[in-house]
Amino acid sequence: MDLNFTPEQEMLRSTVRDFCKRRSPPAVVREMEGHEIGYSQALWQEMADLGLLGLALPEACGGLGQGPLELTVLYEELGRALCPSPHFTTAVLAAGVIQRAGSAAQRDAWFGRLAEGKAIIACAWLEPDRGCEAAGVQATAVRSGDTWTLAGTKLFVPFAHVADRLLVLARSTEGVELFLVDPKAVGVRLSRLVTMAGDPQFEVALDGVSVPETERLGVPGQGWTTWEEVLQLGLVCLGAQAMGMAQMALEMATQYSKERVQFGRPIGSFQAIAHYLADVATEVEGGKTLVYQAAWTLAEGLPAGRLAAMAKLYAGESCRHATAVAQQVYGGMGFIKDVDIQLYFRRAKQLQLLWGDARFLEERIAASVLDPAGD
Amino acid sequence: MAALNFTFEPEVETFRQEVRDFIAENLNAEVLSDAELGLAFGPKSRGFVRKMGERGWLSLTWPERFGGRNLSAIYNYVLVEELNYGGAPGPGNAGAVVAPTLIRRGTPWQQEFFLPKIRTGEIEFALGFSEPEAGSDLAALQLRAVPDGDHFVLGGQKRFTSTAHCSQYIWLAARTDPNLPRHKGVSLIIVPIDLPGITVVPLWTIADGRTNEVFFDNVRVPREYLVGELNQGFAYIAEGLADERYALIPVGQTLRQFEALVDWVRGARRDGRPLAQDPRVRQAIARLACEIEVARLHKLRVLHQHTGGENANIASSMSKLSRTHTEQRLDSLALDLMGAAGQLCRGSPHVQADGWFEFEYRASVLMTIGGGSSEIQKDIIARRFLGLERQ
Repeated sequence: MDLNFTPEQEMLRSTVRDFCKRRSPPAVVREMEGHEIGYSQALWQEMADLGLLGLALPEACGGLGQGPLELTVLYEELGRALCPSPHFTTAVLAAGVIQRAGSAAQRDAWFGRLAEGKAIIACAWLEPDRGCEAAGVQATAVRSGDTWTLAGTKLFVPFAHVADRLLVLARSTEGVELFLVDPKAVGVRLSRLVTMAGDPQFEVALDGVSVPETERLGVPGQGWTTWEEVLQLGLVCLGAQAMGMAQMALEMATQYSKERVQFGRPIGSFQAIAHYLADVATEVEGGKTLVYQAAWTLAEGLPAGRLAAMAKLYAGESCRHATAVAQQVYGGMGFIKDVDIQLYFRRAKQLQLLWGDARFLEERIAASVLDPAGD
Repeated sequence: MAALNFTFEPEVETFRQEVRDFIAENLNAEVLSDAELGLAFGPKSRGFVRKMGERGWLSLTWPERFGGRNLSAIYNYVLVEELNYGGAPGPGNAGAVVAPTLIRRGTPWQQEFFLPKIRTGEIEFALGFSEPEAGSDLAALQLRAVPDGDHFVLGGQKRFTSTAHCSQYIWLAARTDPNLPRHKGVSLIIVPIDLPGITVVPLWTIADGRTNEVFFDNVRVPREYLVGELNQGFAYIAEGLADERYALIPVGQTLRQFEALVDWVRGARRDGRPLAQDPRVRQAIARLACEIEVARLHKLRVLHQHTGGENANIASSMSKLSRTHTEQRLDSLALDLMGAAGQLCRGSPHVQADGWFEFEYRASVLMTIGGGSSEIQKDIIARRFLGLERQ
């Protein structure tokens, strides 16, 4: 039993932390809110150069062949810095789908470009008033010969406006399918959403969009199985991101409480404040360990569905709590936009809501714990 | 080389199974009838502890010169966790608190006299720390130990000396020098419970159990019973807590309670439909499941740091906070899910889950108080981990 990372993983951590200090300080995070593109090309290129885009892609395709533990370290650091980039949708979700379900030709077409930062793929999963389970995929995919026609509406698609492809989940007569859709194709209409973190997410309206069969991924009707598998890894990454955010919020609030003086003493010397922070510190250590366990379980090839859901649920809530406590500790100044803590507060809540909300995660965990087949 | 790993070595797992087999064979209703709050045990459970002693399980981590096997703390952790999980008596204060301190600080005579009896499970010690005016503020303790020739004369009172009624000795913190600063004039003294002048008075708890007040009226205890050096008591206590804290608050019972709750939910029906299908129940169980797993992992953190030679104080404080508050939430939730039937006690018609959760709801009140209250744990984390000044 060992809770330490390997020296190589620790080196990755310091590399990413250093990268984030240079490329993603708070000034950049602020600049990207509401920004037309939503990420810095220089940041994205350096990510590629550092091998971070192909971190988990096979070495034969230009990746680093690393696994869930390394992705966890990466995401913890990205979360700590609130680093704005299309990494998650492209390098974790889309790359993961292509890795599991892509044909040799599809892998050849995309892996190299993904690893080099020359392509962005935006995942289009959720739909208006629909949940996160398979039944929520109601966009239709109708096949005629070697062409599919897609119709429906997708929401919360990140970076759709700069994507080379949209990875779209749609339902055929056989089940859920996965398609790589050109956002510039006829029948695709993008509308930017206004989000609580100012990041570029889109409504994607699909109105009779033609997609060749060669752009469909995997076994017909088995798209949901692939998506679920990739989502497991995604949930762990987001759990790590949440814990990185939470850790930083704790550090900021703790430091503030040592500097802010009221009643003749630093406010951190008052028990109410000290105890808030002690509670958060406890949740942060526990949440990190839960995320690490989920990542390790995935890395070992063991069933990780329950742990992945738990990791995202607990980390998401711990992060929300940490940032809420931090806002409280910052007092009136924390309410002012110029102070950085609010950057964490808004993103913490947002992270709970995206890529598997609490209802979805709770149901997954409950099914695993309570239902007979879930053992 | 360091690398994340959430499994234990095969030898450790083999030992775990041995302990489980032992519990299955030896734990019965009679042994259990002594159990009070899971902290104390009495004459009926003594036989169970003695059998563990025969197997060398009460001295796993002791140096070989004291009859131990010099094993890693992981073995102690597994033993204590499995016993706690199985609802069985643990090594008691003798094994968890007294023996490690005697090994570190005891005089040769004390080591020769007490360690063999602790090893075999023959003797138990009641912890005599708290007093009416000294709870969280232990340094306020007033019980005097006045030197008188080759004896100390003890005078004063202890409170919450929980196992005094079934222990042979008291592990006593007494003030030996009232002129030194509060936390420096205290000594640890072993006191045979049958010395003249000692009166044990029961205090009955809301957990159907017993703790005690102990009155000392001119009790003469030989100087040989002073542990280590004079006026070093606080340092020894602090040292002991740092090393043994991982053994004192196991999470096994919390895990077992969660399993029992899940079992109960799976079998429960409301208006002809399974309760396990109710979305509100599913949500609550899912959230609790996360907290339970985190409580388990906090304990692993303590073990990891302790076996790695680090000071596991902070991890221990966090572990106690996590486990105790989670268990309190679990017990309250269990009764919520049972509805009105949750109020029924063991033995009542229509009682649910043998009244276990109703009992634990009462018993769990002490968990966030005894062994260092949650407020003290948070102060420790705030000051020593976050570096915040004290008020």
